[in-house]
Amino acid sequence: MTDIVIPTGLWDAEVTPEGIVSNWFYADGTKVAKGDVVAEIMVEKSTFDIEAPADGVLSRSVAKDGVIRPGTVIGHVNAG
Amino acid sequence: MTSNRILPVSRAMSEAIAEEMRADPSVFVMGEDIGTYGGIFGATGGLLDEFGEARVRDTPISETGFISAGVGAAMSGMRPIVELMFVDFFGVCMDAIYNLAAKNTYFSGGNYKVPMVIMTATGGGYSDAGQHSQTLHGTFAHLPGLKVVAPSNAYDAKGLMTAAIRDDNPVMFMFHKGLQGLAWMASPDAAATVVPEDAYEIPFGQASVLREGKDVTIVTLSMMVHKAMEAAEALAKDGVEAEVIDLRTIVPLDRETILNSVAKTGRLLVVDEDYRSFGLTGEIIAGVAEHDPTLFKAPPRRLAVPDVPIPYSRPLEQFIMPDAAAIAEAARASLG
Repeated sequence: MTDIVIPTGLWDAEVTPEGIVSNWFYADGTKVAKGDVVAEIMVEKSTFDIEAPADGVLSRSVAKDGVIRPGTVIGHVNAG
Repeated sequence: MTSNRILPVSRAMSEAIAEEMRADPSVFVMGEDIGTYGGIFGATGGLLDEFGEARVRDTPISETGFISAGVGAAMSGMRPIVELMFVDFFGVCMDAIYNLAAKNTYFSGGNYKVPMVIMTATGGGYSDAGQHSQTLHGTFAHLPGLKVVAPSNAYDAKGLMTAAIRDDNPVMFMFHKGLQGLAWMASPDAAATVVPEDAYEIPFGQASVLREGKDVTIVTLSMMVHKAMEAAEALAKDGVEAEVIDLRTIVPLDRETILNSVAKTGRLLVVDEDYRSFGLTGEIIAGVAEHDPTLFKAPPRRLAVPDVPIPYSRPLEQFIMPDAAAIAEAARASLG
């Protein structure tokens, strides 16, 4: 099981501590490949793509519009 | 390659554009904030990084200048995609659109093609006032020489964009802001769909029957498709089976699908977010009446924005905008 983690340093978290998951691009329980853009997050009006860290089955733990910070685990990829 | 991706309309559009740019060096994009920003409604995200400033060109705020330039480029062998940020801004560049792009093939006796896509954001519902919230499907569909498309979901948006770029005629690609799947604007869940990664075309002039029913035909497009589907769900609970037709293309119009449906149901409701008078809703009803008025078991109905500027006030805007409840009510009324 590999965590999908919001990276540190994407934006200045001192200024804007929180963002949201603005889109999931794969349904819960579907297969993804390492490097697939699985989610999009929004901080202020900037968006960032989040990639799958491994091949496997996606398990989402933060819903669309859910709050994220640097280091937040938004889901997992479970190796099939 | 995985094929279970669920993309919002904005990313489906940018993917279609990117694939055509890879395949054809004559395709390029220009418009306001379409480069670094990726388009204020996300339709050109990622293109600047991949293709560079020569093919993804941020323009000054002069629609007159850059849409005219697009016409010239198209007539000189390029395939430009030009973004008119809000359709409401058409006033300053309408000469380029309807006297140049729409007519130059005709004026030149077919010696010049104008393979140009004008993509433009439509629709309201988020308090952006009367010069940023119009839909104007009818304004462009009325003018000979333009093809006009208005998708309701990501799958159709990618297929229609690919077809638009490959078409040798000018195409107005009218996308609704509220369907783009942007982080800062709510979008119906059904607007984001599974989108194949490879390029595909959706042929113009083919409507889509999204829901079959025997009691009443609801013809609509763009954002109103989602409101109509919600209304159809509510009607089904009362035992009323509505058939919902998503036009997808306005010009050319799939009259056959509409006629076949009305022949079955005998009742027609046309729903559009554009203004009511002299527009798309009336044209569709007239088309059926001209073909065979005896198809109607009840007077046809239309639901659209009343002939007033779109209000800034949220309660007033919501009052004038067709919603699922109003669509269901109009459908019930046609059943008598």
